[in-house]
Amino acid sequence: MQRKGRKAMNMKKRFRSDRVLCYFQTEWKVLLAVTLSGLIYNLGLLAGPWFEGEMAACLIDILNGDRFFSDMLALVLAYVCAIGVVQFSRYIKRFYVRRFANNVNRRMKHILYGSLVQKSRRTLSEEGAGNVMTKAILDVDDCAECMRKFTTEIFDTGVALLAYAAMLLFYDWRLALISMIFPPVSYAIAEKMKGIVQRTGAAFKEQSGVLSAATLDRATNAVTYRVFGCEQERSAAYEENLSAYERSAVRANIWNASLPPIYRIISMAALVFILYFGGRNVLGQGWTAWDIAAFTTFVSCFTRLAVKSSSAAKLFNAVHKAQVSWQRIRPLMYAPETPGTPETGAPASLTVQGLGFAYPGNETLFSQVSFDAKPGQFIGVTGPVACGKSSLGRAFLCEYPYEGCIRLGDRELSEMDERTRLGEIGYLGHDPELFNDTIEHNVLMGDKGDAWKYLRLVCLDEEIKKMPEGIHTLVGNGGVRLSGGQAQRLALARTLCHKKPLLILDDPFSALDRNTERKIFENLKTYAADSVVLLIFHRLYLFPEMEQVIWLKDGQAVMGSHEEVKETVPEYATYK
Amino acid sequence: MRHTNNPNETTSVRQIIPSTLAQHRLLVFCILLSVCGAVLTALVPPLVLGRIIDTLTLGTMPSLFLVLLYFAMLALTGLLESAREGLLTICGQQITHSLRSRLMAKFVRLSAEELNRQEPGAVVSRFVGDVDTVENLFTSGIISMFADACKILSILTLIWFRNKGLALIFLLLLPLLFFFTRHVQKNMLSAQIENRKAVSRASAHVPETLHNIRTIHTLGKERYMEQQYDRYIGDSYRAMERTNFYDAVYSPVILILNAVVVALVMLLSASGNPRALTLFGMSAGTAVAVMNYISQIFSPVESLGMEIQTIQSAVAGIHRIQEFFGLQEKEPSPSTTPDSGAFAESGTMDSCAGTQTPSDAPFVEFRDVTFSYDDDKLVLSHLNLTVESGDQLTLLGRTGVGKSTVFKLLLGLYRPDSGQMLIHGVPADSIPEDARRKLFGYVEQSFHPVPGTVREQITLFDPSISDDAVQKVAELTELADTISRLDLGYDTPCSPELFSQGQWQLLSIARAAASDPELLLLDEITANLDAETEQHVLRALRRVSKNRTVLSISHRTSAEFGRSYSLRS
Repeated sequence: MQRKGRKAMNMKKRFRSDRVLCYFQTEWKVLLAVTLSGLIYNLGLLAGPWFEGEMAACLIDILNGDRFFSDMLALVLAYVCAIGVVQFSRYIKRFYVRRFANNVNRRMKHILYGSLVQKSRRTLSEEGAGNVMTKAILDVDDCAECMRKFTTEIFDTGVALLAYAAMLLFYDWRLALISMIFPPVSYAIAEKMKGIVQRTGAAFKEQSGVLSAATLDRATNAVTYRVFGCEQERSAAYEENLSAYERSAVRANIWNASLPPIYRIISMAALVFILYFGGRNVLGQGWTAWDIAAFTTFVSCFTRLAVKSSSAAKLFNAVHKAQVSWQRIRPLMYAPETPGTPETGAPASLTVQGLGFAYPGNETLFSQVSFDAKPGQFIGVTGPVACGKSSLGRAFLCEYPYEGCIRLGDRELSEMDERTRLGEIGYLGHDPELFNDTIEHNVLMGDKGDAWKYLRLVCLDEEIKKMPEGIHTLVGNGGVRLSGGQAQRLALARTLCHKKPLLILDDPFSALDRNTERKIFENLKTYAADSVVLLIFHRLYLFPEMEQVIWLKDGQAVMGSHEEVKETVPEYATYK
Repeated sequence: MRHTNNPNETTSVRQIIPSTLAQHRLLVFCILLSVCGAVLTALVPPLVLGRIIDTLTLGTMPSLFLVLLYFAMLALTGLLESAREGLLTICGQQITHSLRSRLMAKFVRLSAEELNRQEPGAVVSRFVGDVDTVENLFTSGIISMFADACKILSILTLIWFRNKGLALIFLLLLPLLFFFTRHVQKNMLSAQIENRKAVSRASAHVPETLHNIRTIHTLGKERYMEQQYDRYIGDSYRAMERTNFYDAVYSPVILILNAVVVALVMLLSASGNPRALTLFGMSAGTAVAVMNYISQIFSPVESLGMEIQTIQSAVAGIHRIQEFFGLQEKEPSPSTTPDSGAFAESGTMDSCAGTQTPSDAPFVEFRDVTFSYDDDKLVLSHLNLTVESGDQLTLLGRTGVGKSTVFKLLLGLYRPDSGQMLIHGVPADSIPEDARRKLFGYVEQSFHPVPGTVREQITLFDPSISDDAVQKVAELTELADTISRLDLGYDTPCSPELFSQGQWQLLSIARAAASDPELLLLDEITANLDAETEQHVLRALRRVSKNRTVLSISHRTSAEFGRSYSLRS
């Protein structure tokens, strides 16, 4: 059954985002621009050496009186134009290759985020999907970067090498073959040395990790070490870390930085043959008859080929790296379309019967909670620390299955379609869960409307008016720029802005003084006159105003009016 | 006292670099040699090539010597560059090593206030990141700048002799080129910074989503969040397009300029105009050599711009390091080392400044101690308190009354504003480090794990604490069984989930008792424990405190040890 489901999903995926080719296909316009300009540029690169040769030859002819200034003028103009076209294509190519990578990056992240935001809280936090997704989003950068490199190198290395090689072969195939032995030799040696370069590089990376950790330890535990008289001894140990770091850094960097010039020397060894046999060609004693122009072109063409060939390795590395990161993110590249904001339900009465709740695999937190409420009624929930009152509030979110029944009107909560249920229930937990955005956006969350109205409801408007940027003040990560009470009220304003038939507020006034608390409570009573409001509290002085009170302790619930509970539960009476 | 000649106390980057270089004269000499050598040898190949072409133009075969010379010079340049890179690496690492050593020496000398004020992450970025920028300043900043400047100058000089006109063109062109390069690089940098900001905003959106997922779901704002994310990515995308533009436009412009200069020179030398010819006239061989040089002169200009950037960011790094070097140090103790040395040897004490003889000096004595932190509020005023050897005393008092401060003075972290804080008649802050651990065992309020094994949690890497001693304190604190049940026993690497909160507290006691100290200091050790664990911890403490002097602080009377002393403000 499960396998079948997975198969169906795979079928669906095949049309979607998990195929690399799709990304290339959707970007075909950009890629076409890249291909055309890349071909012009890389083939046009041959123009440089050719013109240089021709110009030198032309100069000789002019000096000998065989040709005239006008010939040179024409040549020179053609040269500048050719280079202009070539370099313009280069600009187009570079720019569009990067745009391609950007587009891919953006699209992949969009898909991953879409899939992340729809996953349940349970999957994200308990099953670790959150971490996997976060890493995947980082992998996208790698993947897109490697796709960019791959596309770049196909032209810059692949096409350019072929073009240069063809040109060399055209001028003198024998000499070309001789000279083209050397770059592969240097490439082969580089491959051989790659092992040691990577090994020392990895060792260096490890050592720098060790050094950072050691520094962090010294900084974090500085006082402990000082108190225990370990400072000198730890400094000596740190000195050892430094020496180990120095050794590995020198080793890694020497292999890394000093080898490339050596590879270049090996490739360039071919120039001895080129100069010698090329000279014979010019003098008419060689395999092919050359003029000075051909000679110069050949030399400069080969020099460029030698430089390019050193980046051939990059092409293969890029392909390999892109494959690795793509394999990691591929299974996650599936997102159903993100749903919009749900419709808010109509006011309805709430019936709770025999409600019980336990986290999977844990003991029952409470059972047999029953009450009902009409729109406009407030229900207070309280009890000692860790009595399960917050879990009672969360049971309505249906993150986990509950026992008994919760009915809104005549519909059972757990049987509702998820989007419908979201339209019925508003929830505010301990954590204000604010977003690093402006105050206005935090209230409206993309809806249209007047944020001030809700800020007034929670008595936050005056404070915000005093802020230099007012309602456009950024609240910082998690609301750090606000005080605890401000953050709490802002979160409440957000919940009120998205008012639902059933509102669950878990200790919404804990950081407020009594006056403000009372004022907001009064506002709430008028504003939420058509909702059922469940207030979870640990301070009780508002409880006399609740229609009903639920006292939770040791899994048992006592329900009734404030006075009734006060009589049956002596402990309740001691709460303030 | 703060500025001694001890090299370990040098506190300026400007002093440290030259002194490190002075210690490695040969290395510096070799670097200079390879830098200059590479610049000079790089000049030769185009000249040789020019000669070869001129010879060929005349219809004669160039000598094999010339051909080999051409390659030999290319090879020599490569070898010198390779050597330069290697030597620079070595030298750069020497500098970073000594900078980090000095930074650590400074860190040890910091006063307790500064030590508490240092944010660990910031310290790491000072020691690791900022020091690396100094290395860059040296390896890819100043030295390469010098090399590039030499390259430009030498090519200009050579061109001057071959083609005066071209040299003049370059003299006009180079400043313009340089400013263009800087303009592009500056714009690129600002676009990159903008991009980095946008990227970090976009990546922060993911953990934020994970954190706030319940709110997002209950409000049904998945699509809104997705749109927000797209907006953030869009911002970074636009900043990226800007970098891409500059990145893509720079080299084409340079290369077109290169072509224009070549074209101009060719044109003028072919003009036949005698005046132009005096400046631009040249043979075909020279023409090839000149074209070669022209393309060589553009790349150092580009690197020059990058080097300026490296130097700029390194200067910021140096500035931060200098700030660290400027932090307040603990005051040097008035007593001199020989006296404290005696302390270490005998375990008890010859007095140095005190008036009493060791035999009748109390173990701990607060003599009329007055103390306040930097922020002026008086914490202790005229405190007099004596603890004799073998005493067990609990300091009681409300939060903020200065209980912890008493310990800080006792441990020598701070020095009293007036009065004396004496241990065996010696000022507490002049007790040498190696005597401390025999003297004090400090059980902190919460355990501070160090990176390492379970054994190292107890020994704090002190090699003088034997395995037997570790075993013994583990038994005293009832941890021995738990530890022996671990996979690797005492050698198990520590991780937060290895022990429960109570067990960490016990480990803290084991750490304090490991060196068999005379005085045990207990700091609110049962503050965060439940009743059962508290009993467990107290049991272990009683066992450890047997035959020791114990001083504890608590805000509750339940955790009392021996007689009590109430501290009032």
